[in-house]
Amino acid sequence: MIWNGDVLLSQGEGGVYNERILGGARVWDPHRSKMSALYHVGTGVELTPGMRVLYLGAANGTTVSHVADYVDVVYAVEFAPRPMQDLLEVSRRRRNVIPIMADAARPEQYAPLVEAVDLLYQDVAQPEQASIALRNCSFLKTGGFLVLMLKTRSVDVRKEPAVIFQDTLDVLLSARLIVLECVWLAPFHHDHAAIVCMKPGG
Amino acid sequence: MQSYWFGDVGDGCCTLFIGDLNAIIDRIRSISSSMDSFIPLGWEQAVLCGACSDRIDYLAKLQAVCIAAAERSIREQYSRKDAELLQMVRTLDEIDNVINLLSERTAEWYLVRHPAFSRKYRRTPAHVLVKSMRERNKGALGRVAGEIEQLSETRTILAKEVSARANNVMPNTSALIGGLVAARLLSHAGGLLLLSRLPASAIQVLGARTALFAHLKTRSPCPKHGIIFQHRRVHNAPRNIRGKVARVLAGKIAIAARLDYFRGVTDPAFLESAQERIDAVGKGNEP
Repeated sequence: MIWNGDVLLSQGEGGVYNERILGGARVWDPHRSKMSALYHVGTGVELTPGMRVLYLGAANGTTVSHVADYVDVVYAVEFAPRPMQDLLEVSRRRRNVIPIMADAARPEQYAPLVEAVDLLYQDVAQPEQASIALRNCSFLKTGGFLVLMLKTRSVDVRKEPAVIFQDTLDVLLSARLIVLECVWLAPFHHDHAAIVCMKPGG
Repeated sequence: MQSYWFGDVGDGCCTLFIGDLNAIIDRIRSISSSMDSFIPLGWEQAVLCGACSDRIDYLAKLQAVCIAAAERSIREQYSRKDAELLQMVRTLDEIDNVINLLSERTAEWYLVRHPAFSRKYRRTPAHVLVKSMRERNKGALGRVAGEIEQLSETRTILAKEVSARANNVMPNTSALIGGLVAARLLSHAGGLLLLSRLPASAIQVLGARTALFAHLKTRSPCPKHGIIFQHRRVHNAPRNIRGKVARVLAGKIAIAARLDYFRGVTDPAFLESAQERIDAVGKGNEP
């Protein structure tokens, strides 16, 4: 990852969302992007040039554009038409962003389009976040990483975020994923947790 | 055999799919893979198949297909009849909000300019007050009052358009509770499909989110009605049976919304029986 002091940067064509430019590189704002927040409060997964990424819940393509600056290709899945319009504009400008308009909960529909990936990144506002992640783990190579941005308020607003966090963790562990890191994204994002897992071999 | 976007692969051989962009989009929509036996595709396979020359070419072709497919899906979703109605009714509610805010503020401003003025004991409707503010004041205050009047005119036109379109898009629901209220329900649910999937109990409290979550989190009483309070049968009903009327009305709306989504035409027999039932409960004749 490229840092300038405590500012996270990515190298690519700027002007996607009027992001700040610092020394010719795009500033990746932790207040706007949960993935950037993860790199600020925790370790995360080092993005490398050869990586293939499946990104669930791509939304307007803001974070996608930064990830695409680092890696080989991003398969960006988004369901809603309105953010998809913006995501398409990002894809037209970046050769390594493949936009897929589909429901992340139904991977069988976009499976014929997606390669095996090194990183599965999920940021969806759905109640069944853990099961969506597990269903998409089929795309993950052995030794590949899952980064789950848990929106506890989307799971159940009545429950304590900590309880939902523990429940989700149990689901992931029972699927034999190796949990590497768990962090809350405060102060950048409230009631959001990041869980980093690895898919074990065998 | 496994189907991928560029062709079918199985038993060591590969059949390249031949067709133009539209045909490929049709194809990727129709094929789906069982996730149990799913083998992620490799771009090398596509090269062997003759779909592309190298990885860069592979990604370029895949991206072109995916962009075109997404563009088509977006077009299809936006061409549904409820998509524009959603924006229209949200704009209408937004305009209402703006008119109220501006009227309040300019009234305060006007009071400062005319210290002897008070709205107490006057039966002046808001729009008459705005008109006199425009006529009696020069400069910005008069102009703002003029803008409020203009906005009100636009609002009237828009409200008619919303009503007319709601009658067209959701004929049964509109017949039960009126086009405007029907459109607001649609807007809160997020679309006709989503509204038709909602249970009656959710429709009953649609638009009463704050009260509903206060109820779920604390021990405050649950809300009896949301948007459907705007229907005369609900807000004219005596307090003690209002909840009952709201419940029955919501039940009928749930059925009407499903008729609207799946049939799209008026069902006079249903409307008549529903209206009878709602009227009966409204008069307190029925449990």
